[in-house]
Amino acid sequence: MDLLDAHLVPAVDGVAFGLLLFVVAAGLSLAFGTAGVLNLSHGMLYAIGAYTGAALSDGTWGGLALGLAAGTAAACAAGAGLSAATAPLARRGHLAQALLTFGLALVGGDLLIQLFGADELPVRVPEALDSSVRLLGHRYPAYRLCFIVMAVLLAAFGTWVLTRTRMGAAVRAAADDPQMLATTGHSPRAVHTGVLAAAGALAGAAGVLGAPIIGPGPGTSENVLMLSLVVVVLGGLRSLWATLAAAVAVGEVQTLGVSLVPDLAPYLLFAAMAAVLVLRSRFAEPAAAHGPEGPPPDPVARLRRHLAARLRRRPGAAVAATAGDSAGSSALLRASSRREGAGYPSISLPFSLPRPRGAARRAAPLLVLLAVLAALPWVLDAYTLSLAGSALALGLLAVSVTVLTGYAGLPTLGQTAPFAVGAYATANLAQAGWTMGPVQIALSALAAALFSALTGPAVIRARGTTVLMITLAVGELTGAVVNRLKSVTGGADGLVGFPATQALWGGEGMFEESELYTFALVVAAVAVAVTLLVLRSPAGKLLTGTRGAEARMRASGHPVGRYLLVAHICAGALAGVGGSLMVTVQQYLSPADVGFEIAAFALLAAVIGGTTSVIGALMGAGLIVVTRDWVAGSWPGHGPLLLGVLFVAAVYLLPRGLAGLRGGSARSGPEPGLPRPGEQHPPAPDPTPAGPAGKVSP
Amino acid sequence: MTPPSTPAPNAASAPPLLDLTRLTRRYGSLTAVDDVGLRLPPGARHAVIGPNGAGKTTLLNLIAGTDRPDHGTIALDGADITRTATARRSRLGIARSFQQPSVISELSVLDNVVLAGWPHHPKRRGAWRRPSRHRLHAESARGHLETVGLADLAHRPASTLSHGQRRMLDLAAALAGNPRLLLLDEPAAGLTDGDIGRLLGILGGLPDSVAIILVEHHVEVVADFATDVTVLAAGRVLVTAPTREALAHPDVRDAYHDPGTTARSGSSDRPTPEATEATEARG
Repeated sequence: MDLLDAHLVPAVDGVAFGLLLFVVAAGLSLAFGTAGVLNLSHGMLYAIGAYTGAALSDGTWGGLALGLAAGTAAACAAGAGLSAATAPLARRGHLAQALLTFGLALVGGDLLIQLFGADELPVRVPEALDSSVRLLGHRYPAYRLCFIVMAVLLAAFGTWVLTRTRMGAAVRAAADDPQMLATTGHSPRAVHTGVLAAAGALAGAAGVLGAPIIGPGPGTSENVLMLSLVVVVLGGLRSLWATLAAAVAVGEVQTLGVSLVPDLAPYLLFAAMAAVLVLRSRFAEPAAAHGPEGPPPDPVARLRRHLAARLRRRPGAAVAATAGDSAGSSALLRASSRREGAGYPSISLPFSLPRPRGAARRAAPLLVLLAVLAALPWVLDAYTLSLAGSALALGLLAVSVTVLTGYAGLPTLGQTAPFAVGAYATANLAQAGWTMGPVQIALSALAAALFSALTGPAVIRARGTTVLMITLAVGELTGAVVNRLKSVTGGADGLVGFPATQALWGGEGMFEESELYTFALVVAAVAVAVTLLVLRSPAGKLLTGTRGAEARMRASGHPVGRYLLVAHICAGALAGVGGSLMVTVQQYLSPADVGFEIAAFALLAAVIGGTTSVIGALMGAGLIVVTRDWVAGSWPGHGPLLLGVLFVAAVYLLPRGLAGLRGGSARSGPEPGLPRPGEQHPPAPDPTPAGPAGKVSP
Repeated sequence: MTPPSTPAPNAASAPPLLDLTRLTRRYGSLTAVDDVGLRLPPGARHAVIGPNGAGKTTLLNLIAGTDRPDHGTIALDGADITRTATARRSRLGIARSFQQPSVISELSVLDNVVLAGWPHHPKRRGAWRRPSRHRLHAESARGHLETVGLADLAHRPASTLSHGQRRMLDLAAALAGNPRLLLLDEPAAGLTDGDIGRLLGILGGLPDSVAIILVEHHVEVVADFATDVTVLAAGRVLVTAPTREALAHPDVRDAYHDPGTTARSGSSDRPTPEATEATEARG
């Protein structure tokens, strides 16, 4: 009884926190599940609401009502804007849309800071609620109780709209089959806009009402986005009830968990998430895991169908759509990356026969790049040279993302996790006195590979955008562990002041920037060369085949899961090498070096490069470092804004990445013949003639 | 055509190659395959016909392992493989073609077949790093391409193939597994009459030891190819009989005529799994 007594307040807090997360996550889930947009700026929509609400709050009911109206309207408008921005990318797949929304989140975050300042805004709740009530002998803030009621009402209203109204039916139909919806006279485009605007409104309303709970500040967007992503991953898009349960569970972990087991709380979320992901993949239907025909249906489409089927089964919910072509949009990612590689004389294509001249021609850009990089120590000053060294480390991370995204077909936002493992392994080795560079690199790669072997099973079962979400969660929770595990990682302060690395046994420690840079260049060159050799060997074709026609590969006896796991482990080792290099070059390490932004940069670098081009990924990483540290140096404080603009520009202007620029005139060549998502099946032959009856008689 | 890697058992005395007992697969409230039993001797030439939504493709998926039954067992050579993974079944000698031809469009035609034959090649170990092994694989792959008449296109990217050529490449990929049991899912769909003739020639040229299950709508193809026919309707076996007898069966004609048993008969808002799969494959 004492236990219950002591933890009542955090438990009720958990419910309030969970309901807040539910309202936010419902918007995210709506945008993702029905409009197909993985909205990485959803946290920013919340922040818009929270800032607006806080700025208008003056301790009266009127202030709250005004804030609610203004905040909801602002976030709703922002959501509609997002819809307009992502609509042209609908054919390009989830990855491009996710990157675009991330870029917009960076830009929006910067603008919010310009408008409202970099400090947390104080929030004044209405005076009537600014007191506490007695709750089973405890004092409890009245506002939170009131918030619980309001959140329940909001959730009930949303559910009612979605399941009981004609508008909700149209939304669900759009999720299922936009073309079918179009034939019934609704515009899928309007539904798309409506869904994103509604998701924005939900986030905005949650922001205004939740501002006293998760206050508006520079870190709000990311915090809210991560927690709601965790909720969506745990809840699994299957039903609103599952999302609600997941949200309350996450809320309780964040409040009751902290009060019950303060030491373990940071890991509880990670443990719960890992358990759910592993269990779900273990009990996934075999049909779902294998894919019945042709391109394997991605789990998102499956979930969407499942969601639609589930909703359809409810009494009174009439839906005009049939389950069907929703796999179309889900194949986008796969198909878009397929289109990028096919038929171009780009260096990234594995060819069937090794032709020496072709090989030389394909290696030429890499050799030129290597020559330029090798010449840098004579050209650049010390600071810029150290930036170039960081760019090499980030480049290895980007190459590792390319291997997973472009070759294995697993778009990842979580390669910072093995990157972090490698980085902290090197830092700790150096502190323990192991300063030999090659040993540091090898052990870091090993540690990162082991880590990837552990996380791999949760990643490789999923496909498409679900991989993005799972890897994002893995990366983010690794970041949380990094922040808490102070004895190993130094916590938020990071690690600094460890002995310098020696390039070889018996050599001196390296202090000069040019030495460090040369060491990084040699290591990176070897790592990239090994990666390229493996990717161009028949092993690379196994990965290409797995990405291109997984069902065929399985039916031909290939253990596809094993290939993907090996690819995941190798990519992890590569990221680990990158992390180790970063520590060696920078001579310090902070959690920001392995954070979510770095993960997004690495993915952007891979996408800038064209997702199947190793050299493109390296150049993309260089471009990002130049933008972040060099250009932004002349306009301090606006690094995120510049990077956001870079994201947006890259997504719109480089649909094929830098590799596409090389294609030039060839671009228009093979593409029309290639299957496009949604119309992969050649329309002419109908394999199922309607009336075979006449032919039956022998 | 190389002989199968394991000797086919004697047809008369050995147990059946494939033995399906009481196979059932449900999707929600719809039973796609309902209590189906089938025994195939080695070298069988068996066709499965039925109206759309009768469960033909689901049956193939169950045998190939892409789908798992709710009830019933599947035995290959007397060994239970009901829970065996797809890839393992392929290595046990079950190969398939897909209703929508499944090719890796980024790779060349030859590479498609090399990859398909890789796990079945006697020299598969270390092939990923030894070019000599890889050349051996390419030689056998070329043989399969000649069988289906695509040898001239070996180095073209698979993305440039026409629909009919994709079908043939899919077939070559299935043959590359040196199967004992070959599952063909509507191989003649969308082919011209000339292509269908060539397809029949290819199928006729396969070794007698290979058992074939053919799902097909073209009755001429079935009549020309199969010795026995199973007719499915609404997931159940209507009749299993020698071809001529089965096609003349009165229930069979009814099944094809009766609009109630055809899946896409109009406004039904719950599509059959087969129809769903077909559209999925397009997506």
